Amino acid sequence: MNEIALSAIIRNLLEGAAWTLGLSLTAFVLGGIAGLILLFARIAKNPLPRRLAQAYIEVFQGTPLLMQLFIIFFGGSLIGLEVSPWIAAALGLTLFTSAYLGEIWRGCVESVPKGQWEASASLALTHVEQMRHVILPQALRIAIAPTVGFSVQVVKGTAVTSIIGFVELTKTGSMLANATFQPFLVFGLVALGYFALCYPLSAYSRVLERKIHGSRAH
Amino acid sequence: MQKRQFLKTLLAATVLASGLGLAHADTLSNVEKSGVVRIAIPQDFPPFGSLGGDLKLQGYDIDMANLIAHELKVKVELIPVTSTNRIPYLTTGKADLVISSLGKNAEREKVIDFSAPYVPFVKSVFGPEDARIAQPADLAGKVVGVTRGSTEDLALTKLAPASTVIKRFEDNNATISSYLTGQVQLVTLGNIVANSVNAMTKLRRLSAKFPVEDTPCYVGVAKGEAAMQAKVNEIIAKAKKDGRLSQMSLRWLQVPLPANL
Amino acid sequence: MSYQFDFVAVFDYSSVLLAGTAHTLLLTTVGAVAGLGIGILGAVSRAWQIKPFDRIFAVYVELIRNTPFLIQLFFIYFGLPSLGFRLDEWQAAILAVIINLGAYTTEIVRAGIEATPRGQIEAAESLAMTRPQIFRHVVLPPALAKVWPAICSQMVIVMLGTSVCSQIAAEELTFAANFIQSRNFRAFETYFIVTVIYFVLAVAVRQLLTQAGLRLLGRRAR
Repeated sequence: MNEIALSAIIRNLLEGAAWTLGLSLTAFVLGGIAGLILLFARIAKNPLPRRLAQAYIEVFQGTPLLMQLFIIFFGGSLIGLEVSPWIAAALGLTLFTSAYLGEIWRGCVESVPKGQWEASASLALTHVEQMRHVILPQALRIAIAPTVGFSVQVVKGTAVTSIIGFVELTKTGSMLANATFQPFLVFGLVALGYFALCYPLSAYSRVLERKIHGSRAH
Repeated sequence: MQKRQFLKTLLAATVLASGLGLAHADTLSNVEKSGVVRIAIPQDFPPFGSLGGDLKLQGYDIDMANLIAHELKVKVELIPVTSTNRIPYLTTGKADLVISSLGKNAEREKVIDFSAPYVPFVKSVFGPEDARIAQPADLAGKVVGVTRGSTEDLALTKLAPASTVIKRFEDNNATISSYLTGQVQLVTLGNIVANSVNAMTKLRRLSAKFPVEDTPCYVGVAKGEAAMQAKVNEIIAKAKKDGRLSQMSLRWLQVPLPANL
Repeated sequence: MSYQFDFVAVFDYSSVLLAGTAHTLLLTTVGAVAGLGIGILGAVSRAWQIKPFDRIFAVYVELIRNTPFLIQLFFIYFGLPSLGFRLDEWQAAILAVIINLGAYTTEIVRAGIEATPRGQIEAAESLAMTRPQIFRHVVLPPALAKVWPAICSQMVIVMLGTSVCSQIAAEELTFAANFIQSRNFRAFETYFIVTVIYFVLAVAVRQLLTQAGLRLLGRRAR
């Protein structure tokens, strides 16, 4: 019916990959900020923010991102809020990313040995000072590897934004497969694209992990 | 008891939400005022809408969208959709019309309104050359693939015997692949789609067994938009009469528009 | 005009929803058990550098973790037939879930094993325990207990991820949603209800796994 040259397929997939990258960065930056807020709520002394943060995490880790995006984008309109695709995507990806990052980071903060809290408390540091000068710097070091590791999930997770109109890597692939009737070629290239985006991140996170383990042994 | 309570809560939410409602006035006058009509079109469903050699969307539905915009004397904004999100685009007012090889049934008519038919879609059950299938009853005990939610799906569901296993795939690509790789014995596809698959690949031939009920496609209009619906019907009637629909049909379906549409 | 919500229209299809929910749970359960098994094998090969399996598992983990689940599913369902293995949509879906979860649990359990203090292994060796005995009695239980929360999270992620199996016509919960909305065009209502079902499943699965961890691995698994 129509001939699409291989070079055109690849060019189109690269364009899709650029969208995937853009969406991933958005998710990661905004999700990181929200995740940080969530982290503080989660380790607060007051039980109210702790409970709220826990509920938030439970809801957004417990429902599919696809459905969240759908409800934000279309549900918003139904109750009279006009939500643009970008806002819906940014919001949905932020909720998703922060729910996981907040929890990963809490684990890192809690893995800082109890003695560190006690020692810094004995120096009459306030809670905020303890966090800032003693706990966070140590937690940060532990957190880098799992955080980079999670970024791979974010990259792959952005595929569902096609439900609200984004033509990212997976969507580009399925459009091309439907036009060329060559699913193997097209999805093979899509897989390659994701691998190229994700492998450096996973490899980097492993290097970081090894570094921390190495320095701990000394 | 629990379930009833849940339903009650949902109903309460329903009343609350619909009370807020959507304050759109009449779509047609909005379109005329803004000078743009937003039309949801398919992106993965040749020959109605798919990527062409120049990587732009092309197909019968895209031509139809352009024709309607031309007649409305406004610009067109094409919104590529899938069978999953095409209706929400319309019901939430993010699109003014849906031209996406839509089939009609009573349940669907409760949610949106349909125009007059603008294109017939001739479809058949396909299978290997030697499969002895000549009528719906022969589908008993067979595995048939179809694209979920398409007009083929609606038609096949109605005519297949109860013992037929219908596998409903996400899009045409998956349906076709399922046949080519032998995952299903038979498929229901548009004839024109099957022809182009046969032209593209020698993997496993699609040979037509029998035609399924010939259900046409309609333009989807948001519920209660009578002025828009009337205008679209007027445009379809005009284009049918002056031969433009027939030309589009020749271009994309390789047959002229049948007189009985 | 305004859109009128109609949630009851979705419950006309409650048998479809029920079947979809059951299939999602089944897919998750089978995938979780077998996937965890593979993960343990992979983890011990990687952590104790058992040749050549450590290298094989390393490549496997990278391939699976860095490509989308949907593509893995497509290759199993549409690709394997050309090599002579035909799996129907359920077999393909279950295999894909096992392979996917196996890769993630390999990494998670490995972290647990590597955290086992050397002294404990040496102590066990001095008791003349064999390597498999050491692994089974000394290394594995505390390793699993240590990473059990991460395993629970991964299983919930996998359960939500099974939604893409609808693309190869496996009739799980997301298939049910898309089927229902393709008939009644009540996409929003359908998705809302299905989201609630997923949430209930996620909470239930997490609770169940946490309880199972406490029962089998003791107090440390929380």
